[in-house]
This record gives sequence, C-alpha cells and structure tokens, in this order.
Amino acid sequence: MTRTTTIDRADVTWLLRRMRLIRQASERIARLYPTDVMETPVHLCIGQEAVPVGLCRHLRDDDKLFLGHRTHGPALAKGLPLPKLMAELYGRTTGCSHGYGGSMHVIDLEHGLPGSSAIVGGSIALGVGAGLAAKLTGASWIGVSYFGDAATNAGVFYESLNFAALRRLPVLFLCEDNGWSNVMPKSAHSAHDITGVAEQMMPVLQADGTDALSVYEHAGHAVERIRGGGGPMLLHCRTKRWMKHQGPERCDLAANHIDPERDCPIVRLETWAQRSGMLGADECTAITAEIEREIDAAIAFAEASPFPQPELVEV
Amino acid sequence: MPWSKFRQDYAAPTGGRPLSYCAAIREAIDQAMRHDPRVFAIGLDADDKFGVFGSMANLTHPERVLGTPIAENAMTGVALGAALSGLRPIHVHLRNDFLLVAMDQIVNYVAKWQDMFDHQVRVPLVIRSIIGRGWGCGAQHSQSLHGLFAQVPGLKVVMPSTPYDVKGLFLAAVADDSPVLFLEHRWLYKNTGDVPEALYTLPFGRCARLHEGESLTVVAASLAAVHARLACETHGLDVDLLDPRTIKPLDIDGIVASVQRTGRLLVVDHDFPFGGFAAEIVAQVAERAHGALRQPPQRICFPDRGMPASGVLERAYYPTPDRLAAAMQAMLAGELVGGGHGF
Ligand SMILES: Cc1ncc(C[n+]2csc(CCOP(=O)(O)OP(=O)(O)O)c2C)c(N)n1
Repeated sequence: MTRTTTIDRADVTWLLRRMRLIRQASERIARLYPTDVMETPVHLCIGQEAVPVGLCRHLRDDDKLFLGHRTHGPALAKGLPLPKLMAELYGRTTGCSHGYGGSMHVIDLEHGLPGSSAIVGGSIALGVGAGLAAKLTGASWIGVSYFGDAATNAGVFYESLNFAALRRLPVLFLCEDNGWSNVMPKSAHSAHDITGVAEQMMPVLQADGTDALSVYEHAGHAVERIRGGGGPMLLHCRTKRWMKHQGPERCDLAANHIDPERDCPIVRLETWAQRSGMLGADECTAITAEIEREIDAAIAFAEASPFPQPELVEV
Repeated sequence: MPWSKFRQDYAAPTGGRPLSYCAAIREAIDQAMRHDPRVFAIGLDADDKFGVFGSMANLTHPERVLGTPIAENAMTGVALGAALSGLRPIHVHLRNDFLLVAMDQIVNYVAKWQDMFDHQVRVPLVIRSIIGRGWGCGAQHSQSLHGLFAQVPGLKVVMPSTPYDVKGLFLAAVADDSPVLFLEHRWLYKNTGDVPEALYTLPFGRCARLHEGESLTVVAASLAAVHARLACETHGLDVDLLDPRTIKPLDIDGIVASVQRTGRLLVVDHDFPFGGFAAEIVAQVAERAHGALRQPPQRICFPDRGMPASGVLERAYYPTPDRLAAAMQAMLAGELVGGGHGF
C-alpha cells in the first residue's frame, strides 16, 4: 500500500477524546465495581484503546460493527453514548439494551452497532452477513467483525474469512490481539500465525495496537479499499491487556512486560500531538477534565434511571 | 479395568465424611484417573490455575489434564475419536452454553455413533459441564440445556444435587461405555454432605426421595431439587419430593408410583418450558397415570424467553424457594398454579 492516510487536528482531537473516554470510563467502572452497583461481568479495555478508536474514526454510522464480549471500548468508539452504556451496566431501562443485555450484550442501531455476543467466535460471521447484505442490496456500508486473538481458534473464523473472500464481500476483519485468552497466553492457544492464515484468503495489514496513529493509518487504508469494492481485508492489531480478563483488577504490569508510559496509547498520542504542535498541553488537560464531567453525568443518569419492571420476565 | 466391582446402591452413605459438592466431584475425577489409566480430561481451561472452579485442582495426574483452544466442536470430535480408540475422555466445559458450539459433534456424532453401527463400538465419553447463572451474565451464559440434550437419543443426561450423588454418579459416568452428559450446577458447589472415601458408582435411572409426603408429588433435579426441598422443609409441606438424579434414563416408574399415591404432580425445572424435561414428565405421567390425577399437573420452569441481565429482572426470572412453596401450597389447596407453562 503506497498511500498514506492524512490526519488533521480534528482527527487527533477525536482520537484522543475517545481514548480518554474509554480509559476514564473503564477506570471509573473499575473503581465502582467492588460496590456491586453493576451486577454484570465486565471485560475492560484499559491499554487497548488505540485499536477501536483508530478503526472507528474511519467508520460511518451505517457501517455495521459486530463485537464479542469485550464491548465497552469498541462500542464507545463507534458512538454508543456513555450514559446508555453506564445505564446498561447499572441494569436500568435507559441502558442500550434496556437492562436485558448487561456488559457483554450492547446495541446501538443509530450508530451501526447491531449487537454483540459472548460466545466467542460466532459474531465473526455476523460481520460477513452485513457485508453480504450490502452487496445484495447495493448499500454502501461495510461490515466489520471485531474479535480477539483467541477467537481465531474457532472454526467459524476460517469459515467466515473463506466465504467473505469467495464473494469479495465488503468486510473488515479486525483482530484485536492482546495476546491472551482469559489466563491462557497465545503461545498456548494458537499454533497458527493469525495473519498467515488470513493472507491465504485476503490482503492483511498489521498495525501497532498501542499506537492510535498506526491503527488510524492502516484502518484508513483498509476501509477505503473495502469501500471501493476491493473485497475483504484483515487488520491485525497487536496490543496489550492491562487488566485481568474480567473484573476490575489490573494485571501485574511488569510481569507482563507492560510499561505504563511506553505502551500507553494515550501517552503516546498526547506526546506526539504536543510535539507536532497539533494540540497544546492545556488542551489535553482540558479534554481529561471534560471527560471526567461526562462520566459524572453518565453515572448520575444511570443512578437516576428506573429499574425494569420485574413483571416483564415473569410468566 | 473392572469398574463393575464398585457398584453401590443408594443406601445412605456409611463411613462417609462431610465433603462439599465441589470436593466430591474433584475426588471422583481424581479417583477415576488413578484407578484407570485410560481416563483423561480435556477442555478449554481444563488446566487453568483455578482448577475449573476447584473441581480439578491438585489432581494426582495433571499430565492427563489437557487444555484446548476455543474449539469446542472440533474438541468434541477429538474426544470422540479418542474414546473410539480405547481411551475414556472427560471433556470439560466451564458453561453448558458453550456446548451449543459443539452441537454437530454432540448430536450427529457422539450421540449417534453407537446406533449407526448397531452398537459394535463403545463410546465411553463423559461430557462434563458446569451450569452457571446470575450476576448479569445474560442470555448466553445462564442456560441449563438438559432438556435439549435429553431429547437426543444416545445421550445419558445426569444432573446430581448432592455430594454423595455427584461422586457416585460421576464415577458411574466414567465407567459407562456410552456417552454421558454430566451437568453440575455451580450454585451447588459449596453444599456439603457425607461422602464415602472409597471409589463407588451409583446406578442411573433411580429417583431419590428428598422429602416424604402423601398429598403432592414434586419432581425436581439439580439446584431445583435443593430449592424444592428447602421449600418443603421450611413450610412443613405434605410433599413427596423426588429428585430423578438422571434426566435420562428417567425413573418414570418411581414418579408414577408416587403420583398414584398423591394424585397431584408438580414439576420444577430450571430450564425452558416448551417441549422440555418438565413437559416430558407431565406427558409420561398423563400417559401412565391419568386416572390417578386429581388435578391438572403443573410445571414451574423459566419463562419462555432468554435470560435478562439486570439484577431486578434476574431475581424475577428465576423461581425461588419461596415461589416454589407458594405454588405447592396453592396446589395442596386445590388451586391451579400457572398457565400451563412456567410460573
Ligand atoms: C465458545 C466459547 N468458549 C469459551 C468461552 C469462554 N471465554 C470467554 S472470553 C474467552 C477468551 C477470549 O479471548 P479473545 O478472543 O482473545 O478475546 P479477549 O478476551 O482477549 O478480548 C473465553 C475462553 C466463550 N465465551 N465462548
């Protein structure tokens, strides 16, 4: 690929805001979680923020993004309003799934989020279906299947790529490779090289999943090519999971070779933005403070929202 | 390996010591592996550091515990192939919802392999799965699918409610030469009861009577049995409570005999109502003992919709011991309970 994706101040501000939103919301969730106000398992995305934002900056509201269990980051990046996510975690009627879904099952039809699944692998096929629908109806959206490294062990990964490639469907396969399947490292769960498998069927790009600019650039190429009728692609983003698989606890960062400065997608983008003169230090600080206020408001909204009526599920 | 010498009937455990449900299943797995070198365990996170919620922690033969990638369908086929090659695999799943990914192998292969070849081969395969629910896990992580699996010929479906039963029935499952689906409810893991130390197997297809009474037969398995027992004991109800222990084979004779005495039947089933285990019992009792019924038989199941996540909805969705007690009291007072499916 020879073209370079351009990036301007608006893009950088957007990337930083969304990453801050994901990070600060996740940290707040982690802080509140032990008080049991959120009765639902949470798979947090701290450290992995670059991947969803770099991707979603190139997606339109009608592009359809299908997620697995680790929903918060990509859902917020795609446009799910934070109050609706928070209210869902609080089990309220105003949540994006009206309290029926919980953390792993989020939806936002306005922003091209037709739902997410907690059975690993299956939702990869759904993005292919969205691509097929675009092709059959002449619609201009693309389908995006968003999944982790371990989902590539399921047969449905291969089957989905194969079909998408055979039909040249407008589908982006986005592998957010954090190197873990719960407590199992990739070396224990994958004999294959994910990009190697995909390359037999479609063009593959690789981005640094701790660097929003890298993901932004490669996702830009991929989305442009797919939208232009070039057929499916896989974008592989290697990133780092700072949190335990589920719940509010951090991993032992040092033991996992994570340097919270070097590997932090937010620090990286802020440093770059300030050095290149895109954003001033005061602007970055202002974003952090603004987001904190948004989170306060989202939590207040969730707390003030009603619980669903239990009669709805009693027969 | 002569598994037959361990056969034991359902006499009250003697020489036992108090053990949790979790420790009992762990002991069964450990003894099975120690007794028979053909036994091995395989499954996603079967070798995790938590030992599958403690049920496989510190086994004598960790070298016979194999972790797998997320590949439930293929791994079921792998386990079947190993069973057809002389081993006795225990395929472990952390939640029974994941079994659905392996439905092709379970239904078309595992369950059918003996019938297709007129039982020339043995399929000594145990598929062991934990049933979970609660804490907003939602519709894909809270199901109990025993009814679905029992519908398929060729699968035995076992779901014990006590530590004594879980040990003896698990060892019976490993000893069995046909496929067994073994379901353990996570909420039972901390319950304790007397469990003999020695290796023993218990027969399939025999009800346990958890509470004696003359006026209403209640059938409930696994966690539902424990809840129903609590309801009977707390409210001193005149209820004959039967725990089938194995959904399939089913001790229908035991159930029918009870209904013939009591004239009333209530089935409590932690599963979906339509065409499920509760429906099957009602149908079989209607076929066999219609004349004995003084009242229409009743069912308490999950509502006919997927599990909600919100805590308030979860608490309404799942029947509680109090709701079971109310339903039993209503039946004993001669009232009808639900609308025929669910309560
Ligand atoms: C079919 C299936 N098997 C097992 C699980 C249990 N499980 C939930 S998440 C997970 C690990 C997934 O890892 P990956 O796909 O890399 O995503 P990550 O959690 O790292 O984002 C496992 C094994 C499941 N949800 N579905």
